[in-house]
Amino acid sequence: MLAASIAALQGYRQTAVATRVVIGSAVLCLFLLGAALASLSLGPVNIPVGHVAAIALSPLGIDFGSFERTEQLVIEQIRLPRIVAGALVGMALAVAGATMQGLFRNPMADPGFIGVSAGAAVGAVAAIAAGVTGLFFLALPSFAFAGALAASGLVYGIAAVGGRFSMATLLLAGVAVNAFLSAVVSAIVILLPDTGALRGILFWLAGGLDSRSWEHVQISAPLILAAVAVIALQARDLNLLMLGDDEARSMGVRVGLARPLLLGAAALATGAAVAVSGIIAFVGLVTPHVIRLALGPDHRVLIPMSALGGAVFVLVADTVARTVVQPAEFRVGVLTAFVGAPFFILLLIKNKRRAYSL
Amino acid sequence: MRTGRLKLFLATAALVLAALLAACSSEPSPAAVETASAQEAAPSPTTVAEATATASPTAEPESAPGTLEEQFGTVGGIVDPSNFGWPREVEGLNGLVSIPGKPERIITASIGHDEVTLAVVPAARLVGVGAVSKDSTYSNVAQAVQDIAEVSREPETIIALSPDVVVTSPYFPAEGVEALSKAGIPVVQTELRNDPEARVAGILLMGYIYGEEERAAEFAAEVRDRFESLVAVTRQMSDRPLVLAMTEFSGTLWVAGAGSTEGGVIEAAGGINAAAEAGIEGNQTTSLEGVIAMNPEVIVIPQPVEFGAEEFLASLFANEALSEIPAIRNDRVHVVESKLFTTLSHWNILGAEALAMMLWPAEFPDAPLVPFSAAE
Repeated sequence: MLAASIAALQGYRQTAVATRVVIGSAVLCLFLLGAALASLSLGPVNIPVGHVAAIALSPLGIDFGSFERTEQLVIEQIRLPRIVAGALVGMALAVAGATMQGLFRNPMADPGFIGVSAGAAVGAVAAIAAGVTGLFFLALPSFAFAGALAASGLVYGIAAVGGRFSMATLLLAGVAVNAFLSAVVSAIVILLPDTGALRGILFWLAGGLDSRSWEHVQISAPLILAAVAVIALQARDLNLLMLGDDEARSMGVRVGLARPLLLGAAALATGAAVAVSGIIAFVGLVTPHVIRLALGPDHRVLIPMSALGGAVFVLVADTVARTVVQPAEFRVGVLTAFVGAPFFILLLIKNKRRAYSL
Repeated sequence: MRTGRLKLFLATAALVLAALLAACSSEPSPAAVETASAQEAAPSPTTVAEATATASPTAEPESAPGTLEEQFGTVGGIVDPSNFGWPREVEGLNGLVSIPGKPERIITASIGHDEVTLAVVPAARLVGVGAVSKDSTYSNVAQAVQDIAEVSREPETIIALSPDVVVTSPYFPAEGVEALSKAGIPVVQTELRNDPEARVAGILLMGYIYGEEERAAEFAAEVRDRFESLVAVTRQMSDRPLVLAMTEFSGTLWVAGAGSTEGGVIEAAGGINAAAEAGIEGNQTTSLEGVIAMNPEVIVIPQPVEFGAEEFLASLFANEALSEIPAIRNDRVHVVESKLFTTLSHWNILGAEALAMMLWPAEFPDAPLVPFSAAE
């Protein structure tokens, strides 16, 4: 009887999870599609929506009307790679944020906790200051990615010193390494006489997706998609890790394997994203919270929905950033912070009021 | 509970949609862009401020008055233009400053001020310069100041050189100005600007501060004549090309719009600033698509070669999406000397002359640029 009840309960939970994933995916995919179409048709070069449709359908052999060659090049070579890169970055940051919040059992956690963003910043700033960004294409993202992985590896290494891993040590090591790396960035900025390089640093730190090409997509997509897939597959373990290590072990989780795997995947996703876009604030913090408030804390729902939600968030922010003062550009990282911070505060206040009223 | 969450989720989704719609509605129609651009491209009205004078980039400077007193009487910042003795007072951006005697030990903590100072006083009287002034990538006087002591924004490095006067830009920290003033060193902050009237006014003001009125007047006339002879030709040109000054630092594209130094150079050379026409003010970032929308007929890249100017140029030609831009289609993209296009001193007239050679080869045959005279 008990076994039958447990089986029924588990079946109900599975169904509830599946329902939330399906409904959430449907809604978010709709918004992602809408955001992508809006982003495709908006920009300094005026391209009518009909021409966008004609360009999109032409590879399928469907003649939907005429369009100019320049319009096709703008769509295919400028807007589309930027849209894809933006969606990937949003996906990576949001999923990494959800993962870190789960692992640390801390709602304020984000990928920056383990030094990924600060490490990427040091890599990028050093490359800009040394003037090596022009040496080869993708030099800047390569340096940023190397910095991100080195910093997160260092933080993890400190937490695992002596063979005994500690989340508390990881957190403190992250704080220390972040502070150190921020000081390195400040030192480079202070000592750098070149105003052009300083502008480059400032704008990289503010995050942006301008001039992102298919090459950027090619280097980041495999890493981000692989990392997101790993985290999604570990979602059940992440749920159990939130109960504590002992409880997770008792329920069959190989804690010693699952945690570094999740941390590594989150660092990889963030490093690949930051390397492409610079530092885009608040996506990793806000998106999982919004999804959690709407669809609950189950990581089997939270992870895939954060991926879609993050993609929508960055895509919308970037579309606004590149159209609001066109043909000049606003920085997407500044915009996500402008929008994300007040929205997050509103959510917190609303949630607090609801908690008190219960 | 679940229903509440779902509502919140849907509300969030609606917010996202609203943001998208806002983005859609913010896109101006091409006609609106053209109208706005035409309005914004019009020269800005001339204003006179303390220690500076401004005018539209290609406006003619007023013809030089006769006597020294008349010439210096038009310069903002000189308290008593009839006083050529000591002490004398100037109204800097940092307030009223009294200079007790003719300064023999001068420090300028800004590159533009260094360039003007060396045209007005012999290099031997300059006892301290900023580090950037010694860097030939950015400085037009790097060679001349190599043996001069280097100062930083730390007042102690300046006090150690016992200067008689410090002339610097508005960006020098106010705390530093206060510390130097307390140490009894007169500090004058002036703002250098690119337009012809302000350029001449800046030279005269600095000459007055240094007690070199005659040399300053002579040099101001040289600068004025040089600029006049250039624009006398370029303003006659019909079919002025759309010129875009563009740089790329760390993957971010920068263009120089209305009111920028590069924009002033373009207009003096007889071009139309494409970024200003598109409604861009000052130096701002843009996208590749923004460049396509500006549709320039000539692109100049005032970026140091050490910072990837040639690679940037190559990347423009390699990008198929840009292939229909007239400047790229007609191979009219040029890497130019950055320091001649970005300096706020008279040296940017050489930048305009160099650009005029590119835009109007018949009227300005290719020839080495002739530097301005130096103080002896």
